[in-house]
Amino acid sequence: MKNIVIGRYVPGKGFLYDLDPRTKLIALLVLMAATFIIDELIHMAAAILLIGVILVIGRISVKRVYLGLRPLLFLLIFTFAFQILFNTQGDLLFETPLYYSPITLGLVVVIVLIWGFTKRFIKFKLLYFLATVFLSLFVLNTFTEPLVFATGTFSIYEDALEMALFIMLRLIIIVTLSTILTITTKPTDLNLGLESVLKPLKVIRVNTEEIAMIISIALRYIPTLLDEANKIMLAQASRGVDFQEGKLKEKVMQIVSLLVPMFIISFKRSDELANAMEARSFIPGHPRTRLHLLTWKTLDTVVLVVSLTLLISSISIRVFL
Amino acid sequence: MKPIIEIKDVSFAYSKQQDVLKNVNLTIQKGEWITILGHNGSGKSTLSKLLIGLLKAKTGTIHVDGIELNEDSVYDIRKKIGIVFQNPDNQFVGVTVRDDIAFGLENLQIPREEMIERIDKFSKKVDMFEYLNKEPQQLSGGQKQRVAIAGILAMKTDVIIFDESTSMLDPKGRKKILEYMKQLNDEGTTIITITHDMKEAVSSDRVVVLKHGEILKVDTSTNILRDKTTLEQSNLELLLPLELLHYMDSNNVDHQSLKDFLWASSLNV
Amino acid sequence: MGIKFERVSYQYQGIDQRGYLAIGDINLSINAAGEFITLIGETGSGKSTLVQHMNALLLPTEGRMKLFGLTIDKNTKKNKKIKLNPIRKKVGLVFQFPEYQLFEETVLKDIIFGPKNFGVSEEEAIKRAKKMIEVVGLDESYLSRSPFNLSGGEKKRVSIAGILAMEPDVLILDEPTSGLDPMGRNALLEVFYDIHKTLNKTVIIITHDMNTVYEYAQRALVMREGVLVYDGDPLQLFSKKNIDNWNLETPDILALSKAMETKFDITFSTPPRSRKALFTEIKEVLK
Repeated sequence: MKNIVIGRYVPGKGFLYDLDPRTKLIALLVLMAATFIIDELIHMAAAILLIGVILVIGRISVKRVYLGLRPLLFLLIFTFAFQILFNTQGDLLFETPLYYSPITLGLVVVIVLIWGFTKRFIKFKLLYFLATVFLSLFVLNTFTEPLVFATGTFSIYEDALEMALFIMLRLIIIVTLSTILTITTKPTDLNLGLESVLKPLKVIRVNTEEIAMIISIALRYIPTLLDEANKIMLAQASRGVDFQEGKLKEKVMQIVSLLVPMFIISFKRSDELANAMEARSFIPGHPRTRLHLLTWKTLDTVVLVVSLTLLISSISIRVFL
Repeated sequence: MKPIIEIKDVSFAYSKQQDVLKNVNLTIQKGEWITILGHNGSGKSTLSKLLIGLLKAKTGTIHVDGIELNEDSVYDIRKKIGIVFQNPDNQFVGVTVRDDIAFGLENLQIPREEMIERIDKFSKKVDMFEYLNKEPQQLSGGQKQRVAIAGILAMKTDVIIFDESTSMLDPKGRKKILEYMKQLNDEGTTIITITHDMKEAVSSDRVVVLKHGEILKVDTSTNILRDKTTLEQSNLELLLPLELLHYMDSNNVDHQSLKDFLWASSLNV
Repeated sequence: MGIKFERVSYQYQGIDQRGYLAIGDINLSINAAGEFITLIGETGSGKSTLVQHMNALLLPTEGRMKLFGLTIDKNTKKNKKIKLNPIRKKVGLVFQFPEYQLFEETVLKDIIFGPKNFGVSEEEAIKRAKKMIEVVGLDESYLSRSPFNLSGGEKKRVSIAGILAMEPDVLILDEPTSGLDPMGRNALLEVFYDIHKTLNKTVIIITHDMNTVYEYAQRALVMREGVLVYDGDPLQLFSKKNIDNWNLETPDILALSKAMETKFDITFSTPPRSRKALFTEIKEVLK
């Protein structure tokens, strides 16, 4: 439970560490907006290149960013597959017939089963999955006889490919940027920056200090709660709960046996925490002084100007070209 | 001497249930060290929550440093009383040790320069200066409790309540916290310890024994420590040398120098 | 049979693949019945990691263990055919906080949850629940109550009854008496001693209380920085050398009897291990 990668600060040096959290937050928003505005593949390539440059100058290991991306692999594959299968706009790029017969379908089932049983031994799961998909398509495409009861076509359209590519690249860019932010910014600083960036919302009566306090406490207690969830799981496993197995009814029971203790402990914890905070003179909504100060440097201005320039140029390209 | 805390006829009940505290009367002097002993569920912790206004008494009054505790004065009173709770994990508010000590100071709106000064000074006092940048997950329970103490010391309260603060610690952590209690009391802080560990009661000036929400007895610690009847009524146990002393008395075993020895050794456990 | 550790190590996998060795090179053998063992060590010394191996909640990253005839090593995890659940029935582990396991509406349902998971019929499980609630010093009237409206001590007893109803051969308790008042603590320790005596089970208690070690245990284990540094008689454990090296507290009875021996130049024929024994001894000596 100690290897959660997303949202985890990693101590280090480099210009990304020196930046003010406010700068990083605003730059993140601005650059994210820019990636949604550009719609040419060449511009997207430029954006990826820029990210690469940031990673190199900021001395952030690509492996770390990949670890941050990994939980999203499923989402990436899903959107890609969805676009390819259902988007039929633009020029037709590729088309091939598929023959459905008991034999071909049977073979596909066998392939999928083999994949299901063997995938845990394979290191490159994504590649292995893609290989399975291609093999299935190949089977459906090649074995034409006998007993074909239906035929279909597998086709890829230009727009589908482009859309799929764009969505993937955008997701990658957004996640990479956010990962850079969380890796290089201490949770306390991040929170302070967030509070400061959100300050304009005070006009519409949003209590930004309270939001910041809630986030800070969440940051503080996430590791504790994960640890606790782990212990509860072990305690129930000691009573014979086998989380790997069980029918649906048992599964429900297993989840209840985790959730009830989790809720009860969390409520007790938050109650005690509230007491401890009040006892130390915390009054919600009251002004407080701050230990941490944010200092704005020239570097921050430079980064902000560059980010804004990128956003403005992407807008101009979209509007005028 | 001027009393710092005066509790008069205080009763308390959680909505419509039985009284958890019944007609409690207690006066605590400035600079005193008082131990509140009692069985699980005797109302010890309820009493400490009443003192800092986390709970509201059903009847009776509480005065702290001459000010009556009510809805208006509660925030001023919390500036005078600090409390270290039982569970080290549920009172660590900051993301780091430094932030946690700062939390109370930020609430009191202490200027930043002074905050830094106080954090340095009081983290040194509880030997946690080297740990200022550490996160709570990297600390032991005893270390977290020391941070809690530093947080309260930095707020410069007159009274510190230790509400079963050592019960979740290992012997090493417990010993250390006890040392700080002694040291702080020597320096003039009023200390209230809530516990069922007799060893914590030895160094205090007076002891209160609670049973089912009522004060069974208030007396000097030397008198309470050997009062087998009172202690056992509240699920407590005599310290071993005193139990032996009691045994000798009730069995008419006469050996004066052994008795003197037992009495002396009970005081330096 | 029973529990046997052969050079068992466990490394936690941290961020950055940097490992953290929680326990190292542990050799240990525990009988399936009749032992009364206390396990001590500072916070973070690996006590909990060690006992979580005993019922196969954690599997060694090095070395191997034999738990009731089943050999377990680092390859066991990959082999889906090996079922670990039968081990958890044999070795009952009670966690420090009863809140970790209590979740049902009634005490009865909570106690029969474990046995039912191990395939015991509802009828039989209820029979066991009725028996075990008495064993832990409560009565049948508790069975219909909600586990959440009980006092801390009662919750603890119910959580122990829930493990006992699985009828394990070995019962492990992680700091079962912390936070209880002295009489509550003594009463619970008597319950454990009773379980050990009358049901002939092996009982292992993790504790910080040296008096428990000295007054109850037949065997003491000491963990220090992930290493098992002592496995033997609790009487010999508290030598001056060990107390100094391992930062142990001296048990009250031992401290007092030693002090009396020096002060009054007497010797106890057998070192007293209970308050009662000390009193009887002192009478003899003073005669």
